[in-house]
Order: sequence, then C-alpha cells, then structure tokens
Amino acid sequence: MSDAPVKLSVANLSKRFGSLEVLQDITTQISSGEFISIVGPSGCGKTTFLRIIGGLEQASLGDAHLDGRRIEGPGADRGFVFQQDNLLPWRDILSNTEIGPEINGALSPEQRANTLRLLKLVGLEGFENYYPRQLSGGMRQRVNLARALAVDPALLLMDEPFSALDAQTREIMQTELSRIWEEGRKTVLFVTHQIDEAVYLSDRIFVFARRPGRINEIIDIDLPRPRPLSIKRTPRFVEYVDYIWKLIEEDVRVSVLQEHTG
Amino acid sequence: MWRASSTLTCCPNENQTASQSGEPAMTQSNAVSATGGMAKAPSFAASLGDFFYQRRWSWGSVFIGLALWEFISRVIVGSKLFLAAPTQVVYALVDLSGSGEMGKHVWTSTLEFLLGYGVACVLGVALGFVMASSKAGKQALQPWVAGLYATPTVALAPLFILWFGIGILSKVVVVAVLVIFPVTINTETGLRATPTQLVETVRAFGASSRQIFFKVSLPSALPFIFAGFRLGIGRGLIGVVVAELFGARAGLGQLISQSAETFNMPNLFAGVTVLAAAGIAMTGGFAWLEEKLLPWRD
Ligand SMILES: Nc1ncnc2c1ncn2[C@@H]1O[C@H](COP(=O)(O)OP(=O)(O)O)[C@@H](O)[C@H]1O
Ligand SMILES: [Mg+2]
Repeated sequence: MSDAPVKLSVANLSKRFGSLEVLQDITTQISSGEFISIVGPSGCGKTTFLRIIGGLEQASLGDAHLDGRRIEGPGADRGFVFQQDNLLPWRDILSNTEIGPEINGALSPEQRANTLRLLKLVGLEGFENYYPRQLSGGMRQRVNLARALAVDPALLLMDEPFSALDAQTREIMQTELSRIWEEGRKTVLFVTHQIDEAVYLSDRIFVFARRPGRINEIIDIDLPRPRPLSIKRTPRFVEYVDYIWKLIEEDVRVSVLQEHTG
Repeated sequence: MWRASSTLTCCPNENQTASQSGEPAMTQSNAVSATGGMAKAPSFAASLGDFFYQRRWSWGSVFIGLALWEFISRVIVGSKLFLAAPTQVVYALVDLSGSGEMGKHVWTSTLEFLLGYGVACVLGVALGFVMASSKAGKQALQPWVAGLYATPTVALAPLFILWFGIGILSKVVVVAVLVIFPVTINTETGLRATPTQLVETVRAFGASSRQIFFKVSLPSALPFIFAGFRLGIGRGLIGVVVAELFGARAGLGQLISQSAETFNMPNLFAGVTVLAAAGIAMTGGFAWLEEKLLPWRD
C-alpha cells in the first residue's frame, strides 16, 4: 500500500446469478497508480468482478466507488481491455483506437494527436490505416490496449488480455505493458491465470478463492522497478510464484476436477 | 517504436521484427494487392490483348455458341418466325434504338424497376430492423415474411394489374413485393448476427443504444443487407418483365410480348438481350460497389 489517494473503493460487494453465489462480500481499497493483479482458479468470479467495476454488470449487494463516485454503469472513466481484442473489423486501426472519445463526443485535433501518440507507444506507428484482419494477434491486442488508454481512463481494467497469445509474444507484451504503465502510472486492475505474469507486473496481488469467490489473501510484491524480464529467474521472484501457487493449488485442483467430471 | 531492451531473452517473432524496423512488412502482400494494377502501366493494346488471352476459353465458348446459334437459325430452322439469328438480333437492336422505340421501353422498365426496388430496399431494411429489435414485431411479421417469401408472388402479377391498372404503378408494386422479402430476411439475420462481444466493447465506453446500433449493429449487418440487395436485383428484373407481359403500354416485357404476338423474333430477342445485359451489368456493378463500400471484408 502507498500513501497515494484512494482510487477505487469496494465495499461488501456480492454477486449472485440466480442461486449461484459468484462473489461474496468483497471489500478492498486500491490506491491511485497501483498495479493490482487478480489471480485465482477459473470460475472464481474474476471476470464478473471486473465487469461489475466496469459497469457492465450490477452488483447484487454492496457497491464500488471510483474517485468517490458510485459506479452505476459503464463510462469513459474506465478503459476495458477484453480477453479477445474485439476490434471492429470495418474500422481501421486509427478509428478503432478512437472509438471511446468518439462515443463520448470528444473527438478533436488534440485527441487525434493523443491517439497517434498512443499507437506509437504500443509500437504501432505506421499501421493507422490498416484493418484489423491485416494485423497479427499480438498487434491487435496492442490496439485493444491503446483503445482503452485513448479515453484517458482513471482506471484500466484488463481481463486476461494476453491469454490468447503465444508464449513469446506474451512475454514481450508483459514488458511492453510494464513500460507503458511506468510512463503513465495508471491505476490498473489486471486479471490473469498466469502467476508469474501477475508477480512480474504487480504492486499487489489479490488471490481469489472460489465458491463463493472472495479475496483469500493480498500479497505485496516488493520487487524493484523497472523490472527486466530476467527478474523472473531471481530467487525472490520464484518464491513469490511458489507461495501464490501453493495458495490456490488446492482450489485449482478442485476446479479442474469439477470441469472434467462436469 | 520498440525500446531496444537488453531484457529480451527470446527472439521476437516475425511480426515484432517487422514493427521494429518501422515497416509494415507482414502486411505487404495486402498493401501490394490494394494498388495491384498501378504497379506498372502496360500499353492499352497489351492490356486489352491480355484481357482476351486470360479469358480465352470463355471468349471461345461464347463465340462458338453464337456461331452455332447463327448456323442453326439460318440453315436448320431457316425462318425468322421461329428463331432469329444473332446477326438479325443485332440489326433489330440497331433499328429499335434508331427509331427511339428501344429508348422508350428501356426508360419505362428502368423507372418501374428503380422505383419498386428503391421502395423495397428502404422498407425491407426497416422491417428487418423491426423484426430484429422487437420480439412482438418479430412474432407479428414472421409468418407473413416467411410465407410470402416462399410463395412465387410473381403469380400475383395479374391481380396487381387488375388493382393498380396497366400503368407503371402495378409494375412498381410487383417489383417491390418480389424484392422486399430477401432484403427483410437478410437485414434481420445480419442484425441478429452482430457479435455480442463487439456490442459489449462499445457499451463499456458508455455507448447509448442508438450509438450501438449505428456504430456496431448496422455496419456488422451491412454485408448481409448487401447480399439481400443483390438477390433483389434478379427478382426485381423478373418482376418487371412478368408484370409487363400481363399488360403494359411500354417496357421491355411489353416489347417482348408484343413481338411474340407478331412473330417478330429479332425484336423479341433484342428485348431479351437488353434485359440480360442489364442483369449482368447490375450484378457486376453491385459486386464492384460492395468491394468499394466494404473494403474491410476478406
Ligand atoms: N451471466 C451469467 N449468468 C450466469 N452465470 C454466470 C454468468 N457469468 C458468469 N457466470 C458464472 O459465474 C462464475 C464465475 O464466472 P467468471 O467471473 O467468468 O469466472 P472467472 O473469470 O474467474 O473464470 C462461473 O461459474 C460462471 O459460470
Ligand atoms: Mg474470466
């Protein structure tokens, strides 16, 4: 935790789908500029949690406040990076990236300059007029990220954004995200099922437990920044990964078994 | 671009190499195909020769077909009352055009087609929208749309002429009835096929339902809607001709039926030839238009 002001504050948040209790009584606070990862076995409600913060889903009980304002629905103060890139195939990269400002009536020459800067930041300078189908999966995920950054969100929500990428592209995207984050110091909520990814990127990690989904433990990652990829081979790093893995191992085992036995 | 980082322990894959050098190398094939014909400018004669050479089997087949037709009609049938030879059709076309008669027929049919087709496209898209966005609308319209699409409604042409007279109105109605259903069905299908993740994505940015419709649903449905328009061309042409056959003052269908009554085969075939050309031109023009308007498709 830092002394930075509170960005997101979640209070007694619960969510049920019919009789299924997906999230139970989640209470936490996230400071401005923090990079938070959420890990946990599949089905523990990570996506649901992110969608509630994003305003795409309503909480059954409790609520969340962003910069002191209660979250009632979606809005341009949050940027959502989805698991699939979800680029609009009929728009070129530039107008895909600008769709957030466009929807919020904020298109302007300054915005255009900012969009171009973001595309450069994610390494896609020169691709403005390409269509999504002309780009590789990794490049499309960069557009996905630039699009979320284009609304200059107070909070960046990322749901397993690299899970569809191959291992090498994924590692490169991790270093890129780390670099981009260090330039802007946005507050980030990052969901992943890859523990080393979470440790590499985060200031703190929320370990979720399942049935019902809740925060099991919060781990401070005390590693220096900027973090080179080689940090993944240091003993401290490996210790963190082992520790978190032990925390969720049992849960994951159960969830895998349940998936296989139905 | 990429920060040259000593932390890269693995080789970046090809795409990253491409963006590293700042050149869109991986998509070069696309870029080249986009400017395909402009790479070098061959002489007009050479490209014309190429045009014929590339399609030599098509040209040959068409030429042989016409020659056979000419031979059969002049030597085997030998009577203009039953079959006109291609050369006779060409003469008839020239004659009819020179006298202004062809112009009158083409103008009438074109007007009927465009009015009926235009009305059907607008109404069809509107109906498709209602069916896609309202459950009540879907339930109320579905039996009519499905039933009338399956019915050969062209058989109702005599009825429409009875109701709306032998002027152009009855033809406009027939064309509209034939064209509207494929447009409606395709619009509905296209709007329903809008990927929900794309809708979610713009919703996450705070898009209103109006914005969702115009920025996601409609563009995503456009290829379907265009396919409906394309289907409508053939059906609309059939509508014009059949409706005119049952009674009209002018139009290509009227030219054909009148020529049949007077055993004027060259004029009859001249009418059919113009219709065929119109069908080919419109379908081809449409494919071109789709390419221009929907360049993002594969
Ligand atoms: N819209 C929904 N309706 C019913 N059940 C849902 C819905 N969304 C998610 N769930 C259920 O909630 C649980 C948590 O899902 P999710 O948040 O996607 O988990 P995670 O992202 O951690 O894998 C799962 O059991 C899932 O089936
Ligand atoms: Mg998930």
